[in-house]
Amino acid sequence: MPLSEKAILCACEDVSVHDVEGAIAHGYADIESLKRYTGLGTGPCQGKSCEVGAMRICAGRNAVPPAAQVPFRARPPLAPTTIAAYAGLPPEVTGARHPAGGLRPTWGKGAHPLQPHAALPERVDVVIIGGGIMGLALAWNLAGLRAGRVLVLERGYLCEGASGRNGGGVRAQWTTPTLIELAKESIAFMARFAQELGINVWLRRGGYLFLAHDDETLRRIEYGAELQKRHGLSTRVITPGEASEIVPQLDPSKFVAASWNPDDGVVFPWPFLWGYADGARRRGAQVETFTRATGIEVSEGRVRAVHTDRGRVAADRVVVAAGAWSPTVARLAGVQLPNVPYRHEIVSSEPLKPFLGPLVTMLGTGLYFSQSMRGEIVGGMGDPEEDPGLNQTSSLRFLARYGRALADLMPQLGAVKLLRQWAGCYDVTPDHSPVLGETPGVAGLLQMSGFVGHGFMMAPAVARRMAEWMGGAPDEIFERYNVRRFAEGRLIQETFIIG
Amino acid sequence: MPRIFLDGDAIEAQLEDSVAAALLRAGVTTFTRSIKYHRPRGPFCFAGSCGQCLMRIDGVPSLPACRVQAAEGMRCVRQNGPLGVENDLFRAADFLFPEGLDHHHLLVRSRLLGRVALEVARRLAGLGELPGEARSAVRGELRTVKLAIVGGGPAGLSAARMAAAGTLLIERERRVGGAPLLFGDTINADAGRAEVLLQAECVGLYANDTSLPGNGLLAVRHRDRLSAVIADRVIVATGGVSQPLPFPGVDRPGVYAARGLLALSARVGVKLAVVGEGAEAQRCAAALSRRGYEIAIVPGVPRRALGNPVKAVDTASGERIRCDAVAIAIPPAPLHELASSVGAQAHFDGAGFPVETDADGRTSVPWLFAAGTVARKDAARSGGTAGSAACR
Repeated sequence: MPLSEKAILCACEDVSVHDVEGAIAHGYADIESLKRYTGLGTGPCQGKSCEVGAMRICAGRNAVPPAAQVPFRARPPLAPTTIAAYAGLPPEVTGARHPAGGLRPTWGKGAHPLQPHAALPERVDVVIIGGGIMGLALAWNLAGLRAGRVLVLERGYLCEGASGRNGGGVRAQWTTPTLIELAKESIAFMARFAQELGINVWLRRGGYLFLAHDDETLRRIEYGAELQKRHGLSTRVITPGEASEIVPQLDPSKFVAASWNPDDGVVFPWPFLWGYADGARRRGAQVETFTRATGIEVSEGRVRAVHTDRGRVAADRVVVAAGAWSPTVARLAGVQLPNVPYRHEIVSSEPLKPFLGPLVTMLGTGLYFSQSMRGEIVGGMGDPEEDPGLNQTSSLRFLARYGRALADLMPQLGAVKLLRQWAGCYDVTPDHSPVLGETPGVAGLLQMSGFVGHGFMMAPAVARRMAEWMGGAPDEIFERYNVRRFAEGRLIQETFIIG
Repeated sequence: MPRIFLDGDAIEAQLEDSVAAALLRAGVTTFTRSIKYHRPRGPFCFAGSCGQCLMRIDGVPSLPACRVQAAEGMRCVRQNGPLGVENDLFRAADFLFPEGLDHHHLLVRSRLLGRVALEVARRLAGLGELPGEARSAVRGELRTVKLAIVGGGPAGLSAARMAAAGTLLIERERRVGGAPLLFGDTINADAGRAEVLLQAECVGLYANDTSLPGNGLLAVRHRDRLSAVIADRVIVATGGVSQPLPFPGVDRPGVYAARGLLALSARVGVKLAVVGEGAEAQRCAAALSRRGYEIAIVPGVPRRALGNPVKAVDTASGERIRCDAVAIAIPPAPLHELASSVGAQAHFDGAGFPVETDADGRTSVPWLFAAGTVARKDAARSGGTAGSAACR
């Protein structure tokens, strides 16, 4: 068998010049999208041998202007480094925290160099602010219902926000009936996503294993399992011994019981967004990247238009679907949302041969990890000392905490090397439940936010129902999850939050 | 002489050999199979940067064979070739999909076939098997310094000589000197008042978020140990990284970075086809020729490399040059990642992404400086300037 004549550009991930040209032709010419769409630079060398070659192709074809000829965001570690090494970092690294960093915008003030030059329409029926999974899925659904002209505004590249930064976990194990039903429908949709939207999201149903480290948490998972059974899920509470049969590398002395649902799983997040974006466009919706909403015009209690850095677009309905940026966007209309952004960090290991079926999570510490379709261990961990704020920078502190927790629960991972860390923002509401529906006082301003790190796995169902509700179909969740509930004291507490 | 084992077979190494050098000496050129098409792969950069020579060594997956010193009894196992790396049957993926395999749109029409594809892809994914043994945390230490200089090449050493007391110079190799050592050039190895930490690699640079004072937080790896260094100022003088050129066959065993071959204790045959033009190609060719190689310069980008390992290249003009190996000699690209990961601006200059600096060597991050190749500046001058400015 002779070797083929591929001109390999990224030897780690077997990406060829032909693949890069294909991505550019598809509209993914900016270096961050090019990296995600082709996979170049995501292997063990992290782009040291390919990003120059990739940019040479982009620049040679004038695919991006000189101002946008920048490297993709470099992610520590700069050389693969073991979990055991991170676990051994001195205690000062994880001690008292002094806030540092903050949000590093991919572009400063002024228009992004990759902003399209074409004029935006003067009027549309619906403007969706935020081109994440929620906004794009809503656009696809609205366009399918022929709900008029739909325009999605995304300030960066597709996948720049939390929808492109999560670990891809999808599960129906929740402790509120609505979320269970939304997740069930969404996961069923993911299983046929490729046929509906024409791109693979690689849903792998390896299950979710929630570990309870103490009796109080055990009672929580028992309550959850009962509720989930009533909703037709096959969740059951199992012993540490049974959990060790599912994941033999776990140290069973670190937990007292586990909640196990074999039907949950993980997906590959990025194609989800590309699929919805392409699908929405095919149905006639407009998705504009690198375009920022700068104002929301309100008069006589109604929304009238959205101002952008490409001009004004009149619309009777504006949807706030900006994830952790939703409070910032809502303020453009003078609306205060109770949502608060919190950074969550995440890291990917070197690719290993498949050994880990489920996504494993420890409810007490917020540690979670799973093995991606590419073989990487992708995981994160919440930090009780994290300050609120929009922050997408990475920290050494996170790797030290994650390394310790992971090496403690699964000592065999100690010699596994970490490759790449990044961060995204959760959009956290006071009761950990979403904010949906009309905005009191501003007719036509619709909320679709507050998903506390799990919007990704709910989007297909939420977007379908939102589109139908916007078309006039009654749906009680848009009343029950209205932002008024916080003022009225009708909180809907969800307790199965990870990270 | 240490004896190592490759897939169970004994191989004699020389004292100074890395695992990669020992294997090449023994005529082994296929070190692994590539992740998607199972193409044969061997070492390229010999600097731990390219990820083409990863191997399971003493139970630890995916270690760069070029950075691991050969030691008596070492067990090396090639990865990602379940039926043997030399004759891996999965290489059919490369043959059957000559134009490439678009995994995004593979079998999207049928749910059933999609599930089959998922199962197959899942089984083929990944490189190494899980480590054989548990490894517990290796305790690192914490240091606080005024100035940390990353990289002990000409730029970093110049910076160190101008720097005040309380400076730490972090060098990845066993000795300072950097790239000139490859060419046998004389260097000034004086690091002034700086403390020099050898065989230490800075794997992360962060804005300091600990409660201790200092702007930068560095993660510095010394063997298995990771230490934290807090510094008021940081100078990045990380130099450059060897680049391949994307022509058909460049990824095959037998195509090496010219600078990598200069760092290698073993020789890879006699006749070398050196791909490249200009000063870098001339300089590498001269140094390689001093190492005993016969050199044939290949101008421009070759049409293809042939053979496994590569034994010939077709030039742009259609001429076939036969050789024992190919050396790519284009200028190294600035190793900007450490600086750019904390937000320092870098822009494409046609051959890489040099970190942008002002006249003092300061990047767009106020406490961070860059000097030498990483900033595409003269090493000695920019190093000295940054060293002085960082201590003001």
